[in-house]
Amino acid sequence: MDKKIKIVTVKLGLDIHWRGIVVLSRMLRDAGMEVVYLGNQFPEQIVEAAIQEGADVIGLSTLGGNHMSLGPKVVELLREKGIDDIMVIMGGVIPEEDVPALKEKGIAEVFGPETKVDSIVSFVESELEKENVK
Amino acid sequence: MGQLFNKEAIEEIKKEKARWKEETLKDKSGDKEYFTDSGIPMDLLYTPADIEDMDYLKDNGFSGESPFTRGVYPNMYRGRLFTVRQIAGFGGPEDTNERFKFLLNNGATGTSVVLDLPTIRGYDSDDKEAEGHVGAAGVAIDSLDDMEALYDGIPIDEISTNIVTHLPSTTVVLMAMFAALAEKRDIPLEKLSGTNQNDFLMETAIGSSLEILPPKHCFRLQCDAIEYASQNLPRWNPVSYNGYNLREAGTTAIQEVACALANAIATTEELIRRGNNVDAFAKRLSFFWNLFNDFFEEIAKCRASRIVYKEIMEDRFNAEEKKSKLMRFHVQTGGITLTKVEPYNNIARSAIQGLAATLGGAQSLHIDSFDEAYSAPTEESALISIRTQQIIQAETNVVNTVDPLAGSYYVENLTNEMAKRIRNYIEEIEDKGGIVKVVESGWLHREISDFAYQMQQDIESGERKIVGLNHFPTEKSDTEVEVFRYPEEAEKRQKDKLEKLRNKRDSQEVEMKLNVLREKCHEDTNLMPYIKDAVKAYCTLGEIEEVFREEFGLWQFPLA
Repeated sequence: MDKKIKIVTVKLGLDIHWRGIVVLSRMLRDAGMEVVYLGNQFPEQIVEAAIQEGADVIGLSTLGGNHMSLGPKVVELLREKGIDDIMVIMGGVIPEEDVPALKEKGIAEVFGPETKVDSIVSFVESELEKENVK
Repeated sequence: MGQLFNKEAIEEIKKEKARWKEETLKDKSGDKEYFTDSGIPMDLLYTPADIEDMDYLKDNGFSGESPFTRGVYPNMYRGRLFTVRQIAGFGGPEDTNERFKFLLNNGATGTSVVLDLPTIRGYDSDDKEAEGHVGAAGVAIDSLDDMEALYDGIPIDEISTNIVTHLPSTTVVLMAMFAALAEKRDIPLEKLSGTNQNDFLMETAIGSSLEILPPKHCFRLQCDAIEYASQNLPRWNPVSYNGYNLREAGTTAIQEVACALANAIATTEELIRRGNNVDAFAKRLSFFWNLFNDFFEEIAKCRASRIVYKEIMEDRFNAEEKKSKLMRFHVQTGGITLTKVEPYNNIARSAIQGLAATLGGAQSLHIDSFDEAYSAPTEESALISIRTQQIIQAETNVVNTVDPLAGSYYVENLTNEMAKRIRNYIEEIEDKGGIVKVVESGWLHREISDFAYQMQQDIESGERKIVGLNHFPTEKSDTEVEVFRYPEEAEKRQKDKLEKLRNKRDSQEVEMKLNVLREKCHEDTNLMPYIKDAVKAYCTLGEIEEVFREEFGLWQFPLA
């Protein structure tokens, strides 16, 4: 891929724990991606910003227990606007057993604590590669 | 004079150590350099030469006496064991009230409540911003009604209460509600004992959010709460200067203590500027530390922080009363040190950290539950946390002698070194204009994120070893852990209650109280009495905080 991958990272809703997403944003930048960190936002603003930025990926971070209520809403809003080329991934403290339901609702992948940044990068790269081949 | 070592003895020891290195150690110490968690070089072996100037009476003294190195109470845990204080908070106030009773029935000796994000951030459960957050990760408190339900059947005049208010703006509202609750129950305010957090760094540096009040206004509310409590709730600790969450966000143990102390300095200056006598309010200021796994460094940190605080209160602010100079602190074990892989290992980690807190002389303790990386604690995991504390208290015998590590060449040397580095970092903050300024400029945020970034790199490279993760990495794929579920119907319950409340209360009075508060925001006066008037008229937390947002304006968090 020649073009830099562009990812919008965000703290979902009111969740206050910024450490993970800020560190991840810097490390994704180190890995050659273009990263726009939005701070705290709700689904409507997230979708709007991602469209304006021409993002390839939205990265949602939450440790605040709002993953089921607000996470899928981002995908929903994208679909409503007819957008299917922005991938949504999530990370944070998210119970294993919620992951299938999140994926069913269109979240591409969920990364728990202790995920290596490399594995996030390679997931994003290979998924976008698949998209491009299609 | 309490000088411990004479010069000749020290010279002899130094000479002998050199000989020992030459003859016995030889090349066995290797080339690798060792450092404590916060970067202090570690020697292989410590001797009296590493504390050659130590003056026992001046540097250590006795427990309950200045400089409080050995602890703040003369008989320490023989007199009163540290309070077993486990945080609880989820769903509506009724749900948390039930958990309180479970913990108290199992030997907890105080309550400690954590709030949901809308409450912390000043939104009612029926606000648009609250959607998806009500009763998750903490309990929802919207009005005095909820406060009554939260402490229903709990003797708030007999056991101590901790309210993890985080932000000053939340503190002023909840402190007012708690006082109003006591009044409704005919409990004199003098009888209320407990703590709230009330730290402006929580709003402006440690946690990010959607709408943040400007640092100087957060700081003002922090001071308002302290000033009000010092005049009305003599047994209440109106601030718990929060090193804990700084450390979780990303600092060394040194920065953790130094930032909290820099905040204490700024607060004390402001309260004195307002005309308060330092001894009138300083007796009730408390601190909150985070203990990681570097066992001796964490113990040395606890000891050093007491020494530096005493210096600040005595030398800088001329506090006279003993109580104004002794640092009392709560410890929570390090949440971020716990792993998701092989979660039961976390019970061992937390026990070690809890033991360090005990040896460091903590006044109260919360031991994190092993399922921290999965969800809020279940009843089972919370019970293990309580039991861990009870094992330390009842089975290890460490609580029965005061500060048992005093006199260890290493621990005393490290205590001195930590104290020195804490003083230096405070000086660095003050050179940049003080704690409020380093927040406004974003300097503190940069310090935190740089550290967190470095730590992540050290973990990924394996330089920082974490058992089960990068050191002896687990072979098991996933451990099945029972996950705690927030009661989902809490949001609806809270909304229904709010609707009823808004219908039944006197809306004219509500309007009037909020308008008075609005005006007072622009005066150099303490807002607490006006907030208390408002909560008694059943103004909601969200309505009061909306006044702050409108009158003080909003601030852009530097990392965004």
